[in-house]
Amino acid sequence: MLVIDTFQAARKSLDRNRNRAMLTMLGVIIGVGSVVLMTSVGASMEELILGQISSIGAQSMVIFPGQQEGAEGTVQAGFDSITFSDIEALEKLDTVTSIAPAMFLPVPQATYGRETTEPRVIGTVPNYFRNRELTLSAGRLLEDADIRGARNVVVLSSEIVDDLFGKQDPIGKRIKIGSRFYEVVGTLESVGTQFFQNADEFVFIPLSTARAQTGQKYLNVVSLQAVGNFDLAQSDVETLLRKRHGIVGDDDFIVRTSAQANDILGAVSLGLTLFITTIAGISLIVGGIGIMNIMLVAVSERTREIGLRKAVGAKRRDILLQFLIEAIALTVIAGMIGVFLGLALAGLVAGIVDKFLPTYDFVLSLPSIGIALCMAFATGLGFGLYPARKAALLSPMNALRYE
Amino acid sequence: MASKQVPLIETVDLRKSYFSEELETAVLHGLNLTINEEEFVSIMGPSGSGKSTLMHILGFLDQPTSGKYLFRGEATRTMTDDELAAIRATRVSFVFQAFNLLPRTTVLENVMLPLLYHPTIPASERRDRAMHAIETVGLGDRATYYTNQLSGGQQQRTAIARALVTEPDVIFADEPTGNLDSKSGNQVMEAIQELHAAGGRTIILVTHEQNTAQHAKRIIHLRDGHIDSDTTKFKRLNAKKNHNLTK
Ligand SMILES: Nc1ncnc2c1ncn2[C@@H]1O[C@H](COP(=O)(O)OP(=O)(O)OP(=O)(O)O)[C@@H](O)[C@H]1O
Ligand SMILES: [Mg+2]
Repeated sequence: MLVIDTFQAARKSLDRNRNRAMLTMLGVIIGVGSVVLMTSVGASMEELILGQISSIGAQSMVIFPGQQEGAEGTVQAGFDSITFSDIEALEKLDTVTSIAPAMFLPVPQATYGRETTEPRVIGTVPNYFRNRELTLSAGRLLEDADIRGARNVVVLSSEIVDDLFGKQDPIGKRIKIGSRFYEVVGTLESVGTQFFQNADEFVFIPLSTARAQTGQKYLNVVSLQAVGNFDLAQSDVETLLRKRHGIVGDDDFIVRTSAQANDILGAVSLGLTLFITTIAGISLIVGGIGIMNIMLVAVSERTREIGLRKAVGAKRRDILLQFLIEAIALTVIAGMIGVFLGLALAGLVAGIVDKFLPTYDFVLSLPSIGIALCMAFATGLGFGLYPARKAALLSPMNALRYE
Repeated sequence: MASKQVPLIETVDLRKSYFSEELETAVLHGLNLTINEEEFVSIMGPSGSGKSTLMHILGFLDQPTSGKYLFRGEATRTMTDDELAAIRATRVSFVFQAFNLLPRTTVLENVMLPLLYHPTIPASERRDRAMHAIETVGLGDRATYYTNQLSGGQQQRTAIARALVTEPDVIFADEPTGNLDSKSGNQVMEAIQELHAAGGRTIILVTHEQNTAQHAKRIIHLRDGHIDSDTTKFKRLNAKKNHNLTK
């Protein structure tokens, strides 16, 4: 038998059994398509979530006032526990540096000309920008002189710039925050969302200015960096604060470290991976069972066909080659449709979700596409070829009589 | 010619048993049979006597349990699967009681099927040869019909066209008219007879019907897996006499 005849025979056989071919392909398409879709969406979600939990750097620590969750119920005790003199004491430690105390100001709105916006106002020091890895897009950051002089200057996040200035250059302009005017000295690059909060709607003024304005004696957050051994630095900080606060029981402050952040990161990432893998596995099993079913149902008809082909002179090789071509054609075509469809749907999902979460990106998971295709091939070939091989080994009569 | 000395088909103590779960059903009990080229042989016998079983072995669709089957003097037992396939593709053809056509396929494609597996007939000749065979059985105007659009007689004639398209040495027909009414049956028998009349072909036919069997020059009666009688008629008168003897 000529190879081209074998291809023809396979093509005609698929054509003759179009419904069965379609159903088999559907199984492959569903299996492959849903794996591709789920893994792509899953990978996008993973990237999205991990992007939110931006690591705070291996040497970083952040101190919050208040109590560790669960220590004393949900009592919001000690929100004012970290004071300016604590900061001065921290600055004397050799094991930490880049100390950046910050306070949040309850200011309802900022205006420039006729434009208004509702920024979140932070009073802080130059270290803050370094610790948070915020970068300038124009002008300058807050400087030590601003702090010393308690100047009325401000650095704006990107969205605030958009809201107040549109396309105008904000540098040197004066905006009103609360009841006071501030000169814009710098603007920041956009950072998107972090921890699912918009990180682009801040304005930063000198800490001294904020303190003078509000009279607030405590700090809402302090970030700092360890010098040398991190654990040593952390215990120095904790010991110092406990001593200063006269603590015997529960702490009235919380120290967050990158180790904790990495733990959370790892757990979230692992959970997501497990979730996606489970769903992909289920999709594959569903598709695989579909393929299996159709092919097993077809076994008796196909076995009789093989008997007939052998009766009119087909060799085993002819039969196996025909069935091999059929199975490959089915799974390859359906597999490609499945990949295409899965990607198209994932793209659609990305397009829609992106409208609400701009940091959601379409992610292609190549290994899962490979695995899905391999599984589809394996089931298609296995359940298509194994019965064919068995039938081809029978005498023509036994195959013809098969029920 | 060599074929004059060597019989086309020769069996020596041919036996066949079916096995299922240790249970042996012996069907053929040592048949010795010789069929020469261009013979037209009818095989008769009660239901279950082993006619189909014998036909399947002689037609290379099944293997005997023991004994010898020589085809043109060559032992078939030691042949490889490919050698057997080659004989099925070129030397022998089978017409089944149940037609066994490919479903959802046209008459033409069914008849062309054996040519796909024929080692020497070129692809370019397939269509012409198939059409010729289809015309031989009087289905020229039905070539593009799907087999489920045909009457039973037409389906069986399609099967006969498929059997003769490779121009085999032997055509085996196992109750080809068994599923047909008498009119269609007659048409099918006519087609088979014309084939034999055209010459050069051996025909082995299983039938239940006396008048169908009369088309053949030689009638073999099977009973319980034995040859009960084997008569060749030289004249019509003799045939009747022989037939009466076997009764
Ligand atoms: N595949 C099989 N497995 C087991 N036994 C079988 C098988 N095929 C046939 N037989 C048995 O072999 C015996 C002969 O069957 P066979 O089909 O050869 O008879 P037959 O002479 O063709 O009968 P009929 O005229 O009814 O077609 C029967 O008793 C049958 O039960
Ligand atoms: Mg029978």
